[in-house]
Amino acid sequence: MTELIHFLRRNTLAMVGAGILGALLLAVLVGPLLVQSPTAIDMGAKLLPPGPGHWLGTDSFGRDMLSRLVHGGRYTLAIGIVVVGIAFVIGVFFGVLAGFAGGWLDTVIMRIVDAMLSFPALVLAIALAAAFGPSLENAMIAVAITMAPQFARVARSQALAVSSRLYVDAAHALGLPQRRILLRYVLVNAIGPLLVQASLNVGSAILQTASLGFLGLGAQPPMPEWGADVSANLAFARSSPWTALGPGFAILLAVLSFNLIGDALADWFNPRRRSQIG
Amino acid sequence: MFAFLVRRLLSLIPVLALVLVIVFSLVRMIPGDPAITLLGPGATDSQIAALRAQLNLDEPALLQLWHYVAGLAQGDLGVSLKSGQPVLSEILLRLPATLEISIAAVLVAILVGTPIGVLSATRPNSGFDHGVRILSLTGVSMPAFLLALLLQLIFATWLGWLPVSGRMSSYLFVDNVTGFALIDGWLSGEEGAVRSALLHMILPVTVLAAFLAATLGRFVRATMLETLGEDYVRTARAKGLSRREVIYGHALRTSLLPAITVVGLKFAEMLGGAILTETIFSWPGIGRFMFEAIRNRDYPVIQGATLVFALLFMLTSLLVDILYAVLDPRVRRKMR
Repeated sequence: MTELIHFLRRNTLAMVGAGILGALLLAVLVGPLLVQSPTAIDMGAKLLPPGPGHWLGTDSFGRDMLSRLVHGGRYTLAIGIVVVGIAFVIGVFFGVLAGFAGGWLDTVIMRIVDAMLSFPALVLAIALAAAFGPSLENAMIAVAITMAPQFARVARSQALAVSSRLYVDAAHALGLPQRRILLRYVLVNAIGPLLVQASLNVGSAILQTASLGFLGLGAQPPMPEWGADVSANLAFARSSPWTALGPGFAILLAVLSFNLIGDALADWFNPRRRSQIG
Repeated sequence: MFAFLVRRLLSLIPVLALVLVIVFSLVRMIPGDPAITLLGPGATDSQIAALRAQLNLDEPALLQLWHYVAGLAQGDLGVSLKSGQPVLSEILLRLPATLEISIAAVLVAILVGTPIGVLSATRPNSGFDHGVRILSLTGVSMPAFLLALLLQLIFATWLGWLPVSGRMSSYLFVDNVTGFALIDGWLSGEEGAVRSALLHMILPVTVLAAFLAATLGRFVRATMLETLGEDYVRTARAKGLSRREVIYGHALRTSLLPAITVVGLKFAEMLGGAILTETIFSWPGIGRFMFEAIRNRDYPVIQGATLVFALLFMLTSLLVDILYAVLDPRVRRKMR
């Protein structure tokens, strides 16, 4: 762990990612205490450009964009982690089960995974979210379901690799129960690549949920979710670009920070690349 | 090769069957009575009954699935709730528009992404490499709708160099022969039609290509870095081959093979991104059609478009595998 932190510290891009993420976290934790309500309408102050009083301007309802951004950031950062968390649990459960059990169960699970991976991710997420009904929770579930097969694939291949190791044979020979072997030996030893997958997926979870919000399938007004805010302000983007660009750039920064960190983690878990970079 | 093709096609059957089950299940996932939800609160009992009959909702689930698959076999993807037209013909009408910008975007992405990846890998940890890594990470992190909006603002609204949206200037009358604006513009012989089609394509193609070029650049860089550490590359160097010969004659060829898979898979993913891009640029393809269907809760269209996207995805994967086997003798031997 100390070695990993040392490696990340020497990786400039990872540090840039950590810096952006730290700044975003600070903004969404402290910011809401300093700004007005994100839903406070002031029709006398609509579409004001950035300036004193409204540092990022106001939208077509006169709502303060800075306030909407710092409140919306709470949703966005939580969305990334919760969506990946759900996808991780579902995917790893079925992936490890498939890899460890083998036989017909492996075939059935992996064919379902193949079928789900036969859809462009965003298309399947859109179709599921449209079926479940438009809401932030449903959009998050839709994205998590779409993402789970990726975890299942990685988990299965890791479980297969780990299952053939001597210490797993030894655990079997000792008569340890299957569940214990799965959790104690297979899962623990397969966790590295899964964590890389998870860290790389947080960014795309945010991006996809924001895209669903943009299409009207995610957060509903007046919730200050960034993707939905870009969409809501699109009609005013030419005359008052700050209304749509603010939340758009906020999504970019959040996704970029996770991708920078995820990228460095991927380098760390790939020994050949680690030696080339480190 | 023939045996490989047959085996690959046979392996598609169970996956295709499951894809059909997933698409079929979509309408059945709608909470409550799908017919009532789809028609909205103002629907009469007879309208609800008619839709239930159209979607076979009164039958047992397995029979519903059978009807669905039997309909598909005859090219029946259902009827749009909004227009009353068959979904398949509506999709086929819009498919060329989506393919036109997607294919152009793949070409642009390959031409931009590959050299960037190679240059980056041959100068690891240099200023250029860091710049490319930051730019490509920004590319994959950028929401398509943000990039689209930025390009529209800069090149259409502020500079006035390119059209904001649409597919062809409104004063041009071009017959829809092939559905591809470039080809139709050329066939029409109308002055300025090809130029207009090209100008309209630039922004949406850039948005679609940005993600793919960034992904491809990152991938080529990573595989090149790995290949450059391989024994045979070291042997080539030891033989006294020049740096250029080693990189372009040996390492690049090996690194580009896996890149074909990435281009194939990301092309299919890009089709999904077309929903956002087409919506912002009012590009009349399947993506925008799907967006309008979401707005209207036109579920047969969402279902049909989802299936078409999945079929395009599977077809692309199949083509990639075939191409891979053609190009890599090791894969062919393994498949025998």
